[in-house]
Amino acid sequence: MTQANPVINPLERTHTRLIGAHMPTSGGIQKSLISGKEIGCTVVQLFTGSPRQWSHPELTEETVQLFRATHAETGIQELIAHDSYLINLAAPDPAVMNRSRGAFRSELDRASRLGISWVVTHMGAHLNQGEDEAVQRLIESLKLILDETDALGWTAGIALETTAGQGTGLGWKFEQLGTILKGVGDHPRLGVCMDTCHVFVAGNDIRDAVTFNHTIEEFDKLVGLKYLKVIHANDSVKGLGSRVDRHAHIGEGTIGFEAFRLISTDPRLLHVPIIVETPDAETMHAVNVGKLARMASGIIGVQLQLHGSYSDLTPDSTVCLELPCGSTLVELVDAAISAYPKLEGIRSHCRFAIKDTVIDTDTLLQEGDVVALLPPSSGG
Amino acid sequence: MAFVNIQETPLEIDLLEKRVAIPVNGAVLSFIGQVRNNSRNREVAYLEYQVYRPLALKEMLRIAEEAESKWGCTVAMVHRVGRIELGEASVAIAVGSPHRAEGFDACRFCIDTLKETVPIWKREFCPDGSYWIEGEDAIPTSE
Repeated sequence: MTQANPVINPLERTHTRLIGAHMPTSGGIQKSLISGKEIGCTVVQLFTGSPRQWSHPELTEETVQLFRATHAETGIQELIAHDSYLINLAAPDPAVMNRSRGAFRSELDRASRLGISWVVTHMGAHLNQGEDEAVQRLIESLKLILDETDALGWTAGIALETTAGQGTGLGWKFEQLGTILKGVGDHPRLGVCMDTCHVFVAGNDIRDAVTFNHTIEEFDKLVGLKYLKVIHANDSVKGLGSRVDRHAHIGEGTIGFEAFRLISTDPRLLHVPIIVETPDAETMHAVNVGKLARMASGIIGVQLQLHGSYSDLTPDSTVCLELPCGSTLVELVDAAISAYPKLEGIRSHCRFAIKDTVIDTDTLLQEGDVVALLPPSSGG
Repeated sequence: MAFVNIQETPLEIDLLEKRVAIPVNGAVLSFIGQVRNNSRNREVAYLEYQVYRPLALKEMLRIAEEAESKWGCTVAMVHRVGRIELGEASVAIAVGSPHRAEGFDACRFCIDTLKETVPIWKREFCPDGSYWIEGEDAIPTSE
């Protein structure tokens, strides 16, 4: 989870994918756009209110104007909101249901005024009061709210987020999400948000090209790729099928880099913005957004860890380099020598290892690899 | 069962010998490599060892297990890293075997192979500066 040294001779980013993060709003909601811009986001997700409270201070016209002006200044291309965690649009208790519908209308109101395109929401929970009935109540809530807010001319859409299957939460199975969409009926303001961590812990493997492709095809068949409006890119602390939702840094969890490389380059998904919701926002959002932007451009970031006499030849004993995807150890050695000509000697008499394994010159490198350079030994 | 370790603290040879002095063994012997006060006609003040731990531990275990299966012995092998003063042990290998001949052969194999393949590097600190030792070469440290 370490923050890497600056990259020597970074390669040009050529992708057009929208990539960003859920940014904090402390100091005013417009701050999320400024800090998002600073770390290289082209899309930003935010809470427009406090996610653990029912009521929010009135969104004043002054705040809206400041937010919209900041939006224009920063040039962030798309905005996403995440709703309050308290909202349950499938609640069995009529009082909670009323409150939830009211709060969700207010989410859509705020988002529409702020120029946010989608409000991501979890699909509520059945609380052991009958799952089928809960699905019906959720469908009813969505129909009602879409009709009402259409009539008011509100623009923000609803993106139903795939869930992890924790507790009694709805929507962790693609079939059920499909049932809900079918129940509401096609609507231009109704879409879906796919969260990689949730999808994975709910039992859908995405760790390599074969499993990733299978999961996307299943999603298309049972939910419909046309509904996909937002992707949450989060690695997972817990394993496949664990149904426990804990986000990890990109490439550092149980999912691994390959899934994120696939998700940022798959032609079927290129139009869908990607948001990271990983821990340690202050320090690590920049790193995780950077990793995705690199992968979207077909670039891998690798580190060369120097040992023995070579560790004195560069300013830092770990050198961060970027290489085109598909590069081998040969290309890494060339790039390192081109950045630091003093390293020329590593070509002829050194071994290289990744973790506890010595690698050959034709070994294919991957995003995040740390390659150790091993000069001739002198232990004993 | 082979035992290997890499540590920054002083080596405890007694404990290492105890690990291999099991009842089936009639011979227990140990090799200790210690820091010498001279090298390549230069005075040495102290040494520093650097290690690439993931591969070093795996390679030490491979060596110890190979010796055990080849000579039917028990091997315990520890390398110290970091700063080590003159006269202190940098490496210790204890071998227990039913008879002495296999023990000597196994111990020699372990230290010779360790020097060759385990990714550990020595830096000699001398009055005129410091030198990285890489195989046969002594490379002056560039500051």
